Amino acid sequence: MIGIALWISFFLVAMAIVLNAYRLLVGPSLPDRIIALDTMYVNSIALIILYTIWLSTRVYFEGALLIAMLGFISTVAVCKYLLRGDIIE
Amino acid sequence: MEALYAITTGILTASGVYLTLRGRTFPVVVGLTLLSYAVNLFLFSMGGLTTHGAALVGTNENYADPLPQALVLTAIVIGFAMTAFAIILAMRARGDLGSDSVDGSRTDREDPRENKA
Amino acid sequence: MTLPWIPLLTFLGVFVPALAIRGGRTVCALATATAPAVALGLVLFFYLGHDGDEVMRTSLQWLPAMGLELAFRLDGLSLLFLLLILGIGLLIILYTRYYLSEQDSMSRFYAFLMLFMTAMVGIVTSDNLLLLWGFWELTSISSFLLISFWSHETTARKGARMAMTVTGAGGLALLAGIMLIGKVVGTYDMGTVLESHDLITASPLYPAIIVLVLLGAFTKSAQFPFHFWLPHAMAAPTPVSAYLHSATMVKAGIFLMLRLHPALSGTELWTVIVTLTGLVTMVYGAWFAFLKTDLKGILAFSTISHLGLITSLLGLGNSQAMIAALFHIINHALFKASLFMAAGIIDHEAGTRDVRKLGGLYRLMPITTVLTCIATVSMAGLPPLNGFISKEMFFTEALASQQFGGLAWIVPLLAGLGGLLSVAYSLRLAYATFFRRPRQEPPKTPHEPPWPMRFPVELLVALCIIVGLVPTLPQSPILEDAVRATVSGEMPEFHLALWHGINPALLLSMAVIAGGIVLHLLHRHMMRFNRQFKPQDARYIFEGFVQRLVALCQRLIDRLENGSLQRYMFLLMAVSVLAMALGLADLDMLAGSLGQQALDPIVILGAALLIMGGVLTAALHRYRLISLLMLSVVGLVVALTFARFSAPDLALTQLSVEVVTMILLMLALFFLPQKTPKESSGARVVRDVLIATGFGGAVASLNFAVLTRDLNSISNFFIDQSVPGGGGHNVVNVILVDFRGFDTLGEITVLAIAGLAIFKLLNRLRLFMPATDMEGRLWSNDRHPTLLMVVSQTLLPLALLVSFFIFLRGHNQPGGGFIAGLITAVALILLYMSRGVEWAQQRLDFQFQPIAIAGVALSTFTGLCSWLFGYPFLTSTFDHFHLPLIGDIELASALIFDGGIYLAVVGATLMILANLGKLTTAHRPNKDMP
Repeated sequence: MIGIALWISFFLVAMAIVLNAYRLLVGPSLPDRIIALDTMYVNSIALIILYTIWLSTRVYFEGALLIAMLGFISTVAVCKYLLRGDIIE
Repeated sequence: MEALYAITTGILTASGVYLTLRGRTFPVVVGLTLLSYAVNLFLFSMGGLTTHGAALVGTNENYADPLPQALVLTAIVIGFAMTAFAIILAMRARGDLGSDSVDGSRTDREDPRENKA
Repeated sequence: MTLPWIPLLTFLGVFVPALAIRGGRTVCALATATAPAVALGLVLFFYLGHDGDEVMRTSLQWLPAMGLELAFRLDGLSLLFLLLILGIGLLIILYTRYYLSEQDSMSRFYAFLMLFMTAMVGIVTSDNLLLLWGFWELTSISSFLLISFWSHETTARKGARMAMTVTGAGGLALLAGIMLIGKVVGTYDMGTVLESHDLITASPLYPAIIVLVLLGAFTKSAQFPFHFWLPHAMAAPTPVSAYLHSATMVKAGIFLMLRLHPALSGTELWTVIVTLTGLVTMVYGAWFAFLKTDLKGILAFSTISHLGLITSLLGLGNSQAMIAALFHIINHALFKASLFMAAGIIDHEAGTRDVRKLGGLYRLMPITTVLTCIATVSMAGLPPLNGFISKEMFFTEALASQQFGGLAWIVPLLAGLGGLLSVAYSLRLAYATFFRRPRQEPPKTPHEPPWPMRFPVELLVALCIIVGLVPTLPQSPILEDAVRATVSGEMPEFHLALWHGINPALLLSMAVIAGGIVLHLLHRHMMRFNRQFKPQDARYIFEGFVQRLVALCQRLIDRLENGSLQRYMFLLMAVSVLAMALGLADLDMLAGSLGQQALDPIVILGAALLIMGGVLTAALHRYRLISLLMLSVVGLVVALTFARFSAPDLALTQLSVEVVTMILLMLALFFLPQKTPKESSGARVVRDVLIATGFGGAVASLNFAVLTRDLNSISNFFIDQSVPGGGGHNVVNVILVDFRGFDTLGEITVLAIAGLAIFKLLNRLRLFMPATDMEGRLWSNDRHPTLLMVVSQTLLPLALLVSFFIFLRGHNQPGGGFIAGLITAVALILLYMSRGVEWAQQRLDFQFQPIAIAGVALSTFTGLCSWLFGYPFLTSTFDHFHLPLIGDIELASALIFDGGIYLAVVGATLMILANLGKLTTAHRPNKDMP
């Protein structure tokens, strides 16, 4: 049962990533691309968690934690760049 | 899987090499970063591609090779230091030579948006 | 075991003058003389203590793999040369004390002289061909230092450079020759080589060996056509000239021929080359000595001529000729050293050494006159002095020579001509300097020099007389030993005497003397005759040659190194592709024996994302920010790849570095143009795409080839030893902080150095800052958005907690100092981003450089601590403790090492990013806008 759920979830997250990639590719505006990138970070978290469940291990949880934290910071930096150009002022 | 991995590494390398051959500093630095990603992937794969085999003693039977991992880990950090050094060298070059050409020869075209800091 | 002391003593003498000069010049001279004097005593002690045929040998292993041994030998030949080198060296030291003026640095001179002496002593005592070559090169270098002693003079610098170039080039030829000998014989051991005459002469490499070795000997011994450096080495201080010309340097070439005589000679090739070169050099040198007007110039060309004489004797090669050669080496050293020193005295006293300005000195310097004249008579080969005896022997051998078949008369003819010319130039030297009426006043009124300065000349001249009158007495046993060392087979009978009865050689001598006197009388006509030839100054030819060579190299460099990074990268990449292609072409087939693993959809998706990201980063590089976003995708997916293939530590590191890199590049991008102008031509793009594709293809092939082949890893050791040896379950971390801790120490040092270098590079950097964004919009006025401030303030303690957590568990679970450091750095950078540098700096009131350095220091210190307990550097230890409430915990010294890593990473990263961020703070373009 969990196996089937796992594969459905993998499929959905993968589709989400494909759509993100499409938005990142096409744009058209920079904020579009940035949001696509940020969403891709979120999807990566899901992917890692699913992968961890699949392997039934806990080893990669920190990866998800780090993406959650650092992906945010990365997005903040790009946004700051768009707003002010200078991200540390 | 191995073939796909190798092809991906190859394409990343090719993109990095193409960028390092550009004439402006920023693409060259981006190219170096890309190239170091590719090189890290390449070196990492020297231990083989293992699924579910994190090198934590006692967690499973089939460990991935930890040695390339350790080497690549430091390589990632050093790669960052190198990128930082290169990009700041590029900034310095622009500050001192007034150009971001890698050869330091061509001057920038006038950019009306810029004012002297 | 005492043999190495001889070169070692003189080498120690190099350091004496610098210390002794404080005691004054006389003390310095005396102290310097101690080392060679002791060495000389040692040599005599050895000589008196050994018997007959025995050769003393000592050898120490040095680089056995290369056949290089620290081997020394003392046989008759070494002994003869050692006596000359050390004995005349001592006299030179004494003479120099009075020769050098107050302005010259005496300690420097003596140090160079002792270095040179060491090199010469090394050459003559080496028992290994490679070792001999090492000392040989050392003579080139130290003679360069000596000749250029008065480095403020152009002639000294140019002369030294010429000597260095010529003898150095000869040295390289000699090295090649020696290596060929080593290849033929199978060892560089002197004893074995000397016994391998048949092996060497039968080898097809023999002609090459002969030519190369003789190139080395001829350049050193100033044989025609390599003689030209010697007259220009005259720019050296006179004691140097005296030493170089009499006992050393030029004699090194002669010594080499003597030393290798048993191994290389005895063939027609040897005889033809060596004899002819010697004879031509002899006549050539004598003729130019006759025409020179500079006192030292005359002596320099006379040296060339006499070396030619000795060389030709070596070429003739029979045992009597060898005896004559060895005997003449002694005689030449005696009279040439005394003559040079006398020339130095005259120069010193009269202020010039141009014979046209000198004359009538016999009234002013009677003793010097007598001494010089005696030495000159010896040089001319007139009876009853030593020069006469060896010249008679030379004539005997020349007349007896059976070389060159029908052209056999050429040897005595050239010998006679050379002898005639040397009588002529000797007469001219003595006459013009001392007896002719002076045509003009010399710059200074000369008078006799202080006695100690004259003493070496007196001693040498006395030896000349003694050797001439009682030739059997002083040096016969030494000569005998030397002959035994150079002549293989039976010890020949020889008898040195002034009077051998009336024989062809005596008749030739008499004719030569008469001819020499006539030629001297005709000197003015000869000068006029010579004037019709265009003077060929070797210096200009040589300098011209060197300049042409430099220009050629410059053109070559300009071709390769035109200052364009693009060109270099292109060459580098093209060569790499070629090298990889060649390597890959060697493989039998690309795929190895291992099968491939099955693909799964997620991996395909990841690969597609990576490819998309990579290609778009390159394709969109002109739109820099978009290119950067694509790079970010690549970074993220690379991290996921690491996680997918069982490398959690790498995934964590890659994620943190990716964010840091993004921030870094965006910080930098602000100061750089936002778009790259389109400037690559179509052809250039095609070329680069081709190179990149080739490179990528080669890497992909290589990667695939490796992945499908069996892996033979050493990692099982690490996995097995990780828990019992390192006390950690995370093998990657244990490798980093324990097994390969030294590597890691190096890495964080590099990181800290890069941080410091960046800090310096940013110093006083002023840059253009765009006032609007890419599309021309003004920047937003909201410097620190409230939302961001609030969120980041909440995030900071969480991030620090995560970082601490990751750090602590690093030894057993994925994590560790590198990752924790990066997380901390990113968390602090977030603070800078959201609140600005000023705000952050008020609250984080410390410098980052000390943190980075403290990190490196802490790690090093941890490593050093293991020394305290008698373990090798960076040995780690661990133990388990039981704490109430928390339970069993394990503490490893590696944790402290990891702490060092953590600090270094935090410090370096912040040093880079925060300093880059500070760059703008003071000069915001629209800071004051409403």
